[in-house]
Amino acid sequence: MTHYINRRGLLKASGAMALLSGLASPSILRAQTPVVKIGVLEPLTGNLAYNGTQCAAGAKFAAEAINAAGGIKSMGGAQIELVIVDAESRPEVAAAAVDTLAEAGVCAFTGASASALGLASSQAAAKYDLAQVFSVGTAEAIVERGLHNVFRYTPGVNKITAVAMDNLKLLNDGAGNPVKTAAIIHEDGPFGTSMADLIEKTLPDQGITVVERIAHPTPHRDFNNIALRVKASKADIIIPSNYINEYTLMTRALQQQRVELMAIYSVLGGAASNIKFVRENNDLAQYVIDCNHWYDPKKEASQALAASVAAAGLDMTYDVMVAYATIQVVADALERGASDDRLKMIEALAASDYADSIMPYGPTKFVNGDNVSAAPVNLQVRGDKIEVIFPAEYATAEPVFPRPAAG
Amino acid sequence: MMRLASYGQVALVVAVLAYLGAVYVMPSQVWMGFTINALAMTIVALSWNVTGGFGGMSSFGHAAMYGTGAYASAVLQVQFGVNAWLAFGAGIMAGALMGGFIGALSFRYGLKGSYFALVTLAFAEVLRICAASFNITGGGRGLQLAIEPGVAALQFNKDRVLTYTLLLAIVALVMALTAWLKYSRFGAYLVAVRENEDAARALGIDTYRVKVTAMAISGAFGGLAGAIYLQLWLFIDSAVVYGVAISVVALIGPIIGGAGTVWGPLVGTLGLHLLGEGAKTALHNAPGLNFVLYAVVLIVALRFLPQGIMGLAARIGAFGRKGGDDA
Repeated sequence: MTHYINRRGLLKASGAMALLSGLASPSILRAQTPVVKIGVLEPLTGNLAYNGTQCAAGAKFAAEAINAAGGIKSMGGAQIELVIVDAESRPEVAAAAVDTLAEAGVCAFTGASASALGLASSQAAAKYDLAQVFSVGTAEAIVERGLHNVFRYTPGVNKITAVAMDNLKLLNDGAGNPVKTAAIIHEDGPFGTSMADLIEKTLPDQGITVVERIAHPTPHRDFNNIALRVKASKADIIIPSNYINEYTLMTRALQQQRVELMAIYSVLGGAASNIKFVRENNDLAQYVIDCNHWYDPKKEASQALAASVAAAGLDMTYDVMVAYATIQVVADALERGASDDRLKMIEALAASDYADSIMPYGPTKFVNGDNVSAAPVNLQVRGDKIEVIFPAEYATAEPVFPRPAAG
Repeated sequence: MMRLASYGQVALVVAVLAYLGAVYVMPSQVWMGFTINALAMTIVALSWNVTGGFGGMSSFGHAAMYGTGAYASAVLQVQFGVNAWLAFGAGIMAGALMGGFIGALSFRYGLKGSYFALVTLAFAEVLRICAASFNITGGGRGLQLAIEPGVAALQFNKDRVLTYTLLLAIVALVMALTAWLKYSRFGAYLVAVRENEDAARALGIDTYRVKVTAMAISGAFGGLAGAIYLQLWLFIDSAVVYGVAISVVALIGPIIGGAGTVWGPLVGTLGLHLLGEGAKTALHNAPGLNFVLYAVVLIVALRFLPQGIMGLAARIGAFGRKGGDDA
């Protein structure tokens, strides 16, 4: 059976459709959920692509969790929409990407995995009165420039090094001070150099002599000479600060050259707190200690994040954690400020006392843009897990120091 | 000074100028931001063009001059409190001296071709390691200028239009200087050295002096580009300004645009930046794919456009002068 429609029928149908759509559209408008945009500026390509990609994933998990919990309630349940841009591991690109974020209408943004990128992006963002909440950016210069739009949620190099050295002293004292000498191995960029300078200055106060300090570029592939220098120095421990690939190759070279060490005590070790390193190099990773950014594994939100990360087939790294937490901080500022106005966001962030992030920090307190409540934790690889060993209130295992002799 | 050879080249240059003018009226700041980056890189591309394009001395280490200009200016400002304008000038001078030094050392021992390219790469790498090692250069931490917007500190970041206009003026000035160089007697010497160094020497040209002078001029432009980078982003470290990426950017723009032409470095650098940005916008959910597209275009251009984009444009509606100017 064939149906034909004549011109009058068509007009009637069109009229009915128009009437229906006219009646329906107000209800559609009413049902529309408000959206608030948050920027995520990370190096998704280039040298720092691994860290940047992990951070972007962490931010996505946070946005999904917040949206699933009802969004920003003070803004009518506004759903968070992330605007993710690539800094390409280059400072000038990071700065240019801020234009994209500003024009996309973000209320604030997080990032950017490396101090050099963050220095450039936050400076560019100041022109737009656009807040940048640093997920990772350890250089103290970040918070020393007097920029009103800078908020560093995680600890800087001074705090991390101080905590790391205090905890090393605790471990060494507890073991009867077996460690007398140390070798520092660091990447030669701003992060590794700043860290090494502070460690070199602090260790003698603990009765530990720095017998070798070795800088290497990123990327760097052959660590055999470095391992041999460490062996010749007869250092009791090494203190590395570098990125994931270099860290992995360094530990392999140390094993191949049979360098006997009481401990590998990393400070922001690129792989030491990375489950991928633990999984793929399990024997090398055993008893490695790291002082790093890490979440409070006992929190419910942390466990939910760990489950989401595992379900997505990703590695649970500190990048994921800090990016998740910084989105939480931004969301809290939105909740309290009840506005996505950029200046109001800066005000809300400056007044933040947020205490419910997944990180083991107290209530947030930004002093000149630096969260003075932030602190790193000490971790140790045990079996196929990364356990928290310091501070005691977050610890999931007792430290083993010095590590048992090989063989 | 910048003579064009065909309607194709005229159309290309008009298109470039139209784009650069349109940036002023584009509502989006994104285009201005990325064009500022492209213009800053065009200066180092113009620097490479003096030696690699006009003189046939292909360097793979122009970051040496670029980084030296940036570091000289930064060290003087941060460590010695020297005025930003004087430090800027010193950065240009330091770039020239570094270029002259590398040239003098390399050409004294008769290095040319791939040997010269490798030596320049080695110089850049040695300088990168030195800059990351000494306290005066900030070691691995790099050097950072205090934020002091204004003319006195040579910081115009708050006014994007002014920054863009100044960069346009500097690029125009450097292009005018390279055009003058190209059509001068010295430029003819350089071309003679490029085409047949032995024949040039036989004709009485002091080839060593010509090549070292070209390296010094190129170094001055490279130092200028480095000093501009510092004033734009107020922070440098050894990997940023002495890294291989700078050396690659320096040579790719002219090669794609047309090495040995006045407009080639600008056309190539701007074109590649536009391509990258366009690909990034189109493929925003797939970071890194823009680089794949970028690489494909690069390979195609290298295979099918040996004279670069300006060479292709020269074949479209040539004015009829036999062996016409390649602009």
